[in-house]
Amino acid sequence: MTAAPALSMSGISKAFPGVRALDGVDFDCLPGEVHAICGENGAGKSTLMKILGGSYRPDAGEIRLAGANVHFTHPRQAAEAGISIIHQELSLLPHRTVAENIFMGREIARRGILDRAAMRETAAALLCRIGAQIDPQAPVSSLSIAMQQLVEIAKALLLDARILVMDEPTAALDERDSRALLELVGTLRGEGVSIVYISHRMPEVTAIADRITILKDGRKVWTRPREAAPIGEIVRAMVGRDLEDFYPPPPASPPGAVLLAVKDGANAALRDIAFDVRAGEIVGVAGLEDSGKGALAQALVGDAPFSGGTVALRGRPVALRTPRQATAAGIGYLPGDRKREGLALRQSVRDNALLTLRSMAGLFTRPGRGAFAPRAIDGKLRDMDVRAADFGQEIGTLSGGNQQKAIIVRWLAQASDILVFVEPTRGIDIAAKAAIYRTMRAFADSGRGIVVVSSDMPELIGVADRILVMHQGGISGQLPRGAGEEEVMHLALGLADAPQREARA
Amino acid sequence: MSPLPQTSSPLRRPARLAVNAGLVIFLALYAAIAFLQPNYLEPGLFMNFLRRAAPLVILACGQLYVILTGGFDLSMGAVATLAVLAASILINGDPETTWAVIGTLYVMGIAVGLVNGLVVAFLKVPSIIATLGAMLSVNGLALAWSGGAARGDLPDNFRNLGRLVWRGVPLVGTLPLAAVVLAGFVALAWWGLNGTVYGKRALAVGDNPRAAELAGTPVAATRILAFVVSAVSAVTAGILIGGFSGVSVNAGEGLELQAIAACVIGGAQLLGGRGSIWSAVFGALSLFALFTLLNLIGLPQALRDSIQGVILIAAVGASLWRTRRRT
Repeated sequence: MTAAPALSMSGISKAFPGVRALDGVDFDCLPGEVHAICGENGAGKSTLMKILGGSYRPDAGEIRLAGANVHFTHPRQAAEAGISIIHQELSLLPHRTVAENIFMGREIARRGILDRAAMRETAAALLCRIGAQIDPQAPVSSLSIAMQQLVEIAKALLLDARILVMDEPTAALDERDSRALLELVGTLRGEGVSIVYISHRMPEVTAIADRITILKDGRKVWTRPREAAPIGEIVRAMVGRDLEDFYPPPPASPPGAVLLAVKDGANAALRDIAFDVRAGEIVGVAGLEDSGKGALAQALVGDAPFSGGTVALRGRPVALRTPRQATAAGIGYLPGDRKREGLALRQSVRDNALLTLRSMAGLFTRPGRGAFAPRAIDGKLRDMDVRAADFGQEIGTLSGGNQQKAIIVRWLAQASDILVFVEPTRGIDIAAKAAIYRTMRAFADSGRGIVVVSSDMPELIGVADRILVMHQGGISGQLPRGAGEEEVMHLALGLADAPQREARA
Repeated sequence: MSPLPQTSSPLRRPARLAVNAGLVIFLALYAAIAFLQPNYLEPGLFMNFLRRAAPLVILACGQLYVILTGGFDLSMGAVATLAVLAASILINGDPETTWAVIGTLYVMGIAVGLVNGLVVAFLKVPSIIATLGAMLSVNGLALAWSGGAARGDLPDNFRNLGRLVWRGVPLVGTLPLAAVVLAGFVALAWWGLNGTVYGKRALAVGDNPRAAELAGTPVAATRILAFVVSAVSAVTAGILIGGFSGVSVNAGEGLELQAIAACVIGGAQLLGGRGSIWSAVFGALSLFALFTLLNLIGLPQALRDSIQGVILIAAVGASLWRTRRRT
């Protein structure tokens, strides 16, 4: 193809505090082309699309639309330039009608008065164009997710979008609706729209994409035409990287008695959860976003409890309906979003480390005596190598690694039996990562158990004794220590029969 | 994503300034008062100042509990009014019943505090709305009960709580009973925050309720208790007000905003997570000193409210500016 690219992004870089999200990424999309982007969670896909959509400004690099250089400072500018992004979470107003949603912010008015009839007609025409049988006057809340998706697309077409970004459009759709959506993508491609397609579903990607780009750790791995990119290659490129040697050695002895046993665990986001954690064991939980791995952690700590099934700790059934009950039962939680869920940022390092102890003690306990005395907790903080000039300083001033270590101290002080880690090293530098892995190992070796939920696959493989892989709310498989990233990825993608496909491709 | 080297932020000391800010403002204002009216330096007049400031200081201590947990209690003034009106109606001049009625007042106050706390903790109604509703309801109930005008009578043993002054006390010369009540209440409030784990829990809840909950903190109980303490302080203040001002249907009017302003002037942070009992005590003394000063200058009473409004905004603005500068 010789056409000038409708979209060309070159040398895009973007850093957030502590993390380089994108590093010199080049990406382009021709008119009438479907260009898929694949990558693990955190590879930089969303950041790249947010830059394209004007939500973020790149630190370096340039964006050209049909050859013309553009700088977006606001999402609206991107929309006016013909870029439409359909996000994973739909952005429709549920209590307004389809037509009102399509025209949201761009209502047709005559002399300042809304022209509802014109909007209805245009909406109907747009919906017809994409083959959607939807009444423009129906409230959005009465539509299925698939239909809402179509409304989003109609909304994008209203702006005469030349570039349509679809972020996991089929994630919430069943087989039939997905196929219909893919047909629509084909139709739009025929009309000359450039489509950037982000998906974890490999069969879909290889069926629809003209070209495929793989992102990993904020860098582009390669861009290839579909014919040169069998699923196996894609998966390898998504996960392939050197295993760092800073993971602690596996335990010398086999795990002990069962500490935590979950049977038939289920709630709105989970189904048929059954697994156990033995003394001395680190159990990893892998899965893509929305696979239910976060929901599993929340269920274990009573934040979004199981509505069915049983949980037993040391053989005794326990109720985990609130975080407080889970804490009392001996389950500790280290949330992935430390700032929002883990820390009281304006309180001191000491107070944060003592938070759980003080929360579980009797109300009339003196706050600064015995186990709560500064000297006692300072010793524990020093043992964990939390670096701060003064443990009385606000914890918000510490680095991510030191904050995480302080939260670990909080649960060590409480002497919990099971710790549930979510993304334990997100945004943490390498040295602190190693220290946290060592601590996890030491905690498990002391006869207790760890459940670690992570999107960082090398981390899971390096630190976990066993990996549960989740897919669509259930556990799709279990892998022993030593499993490869590709095996995990295949289970996470729900591709139980992947090797055959690879052979066929 | 590849990690960047973490830059360690410059090390900062925790802000102890907040405590001193209220004290400094109070000393400056009191110095100004003494400059205009030198006899304010005599122990007797200072004790009298304390006696008149006592209700506000007590209210501020109660309000502080709620502010630390990240809320507001706008119903305090109404509860104080209720306490005054209910006392005069129930006691009706019979000194025998005073102590039983005082017990009843506290039960009523605790009930209001519990309702506030339950509504905020479980219905998740923002505290500013929940307590605004409680303020209107309690005010309305108190007025309906009293028939819209002060009725009944307060016997001397009740009124003494607010106005009795012992003379010939060594060192200070005169000692108002209200000042003793004040000291006792402040000591209790201090103990609640510093002598039990409650204070640390309240700070954590006000700072980040989500993190506190996930760490096992009983967030709902912590919030409810704060509203109960606040209501108890309102009843206590009401009893003192009834003592030295007598019965009136607007006895507690506007006191809730004064209490909030006092806490903020003293350095407590609105929406929670920072502040100490001294924020409330010195903030309230500062505010009361300011009112006294404005009186001495001869400013009309009505302008006092305007100035209080300006101060509230300025104090919150200053505290936000301080926070922004530090981060």
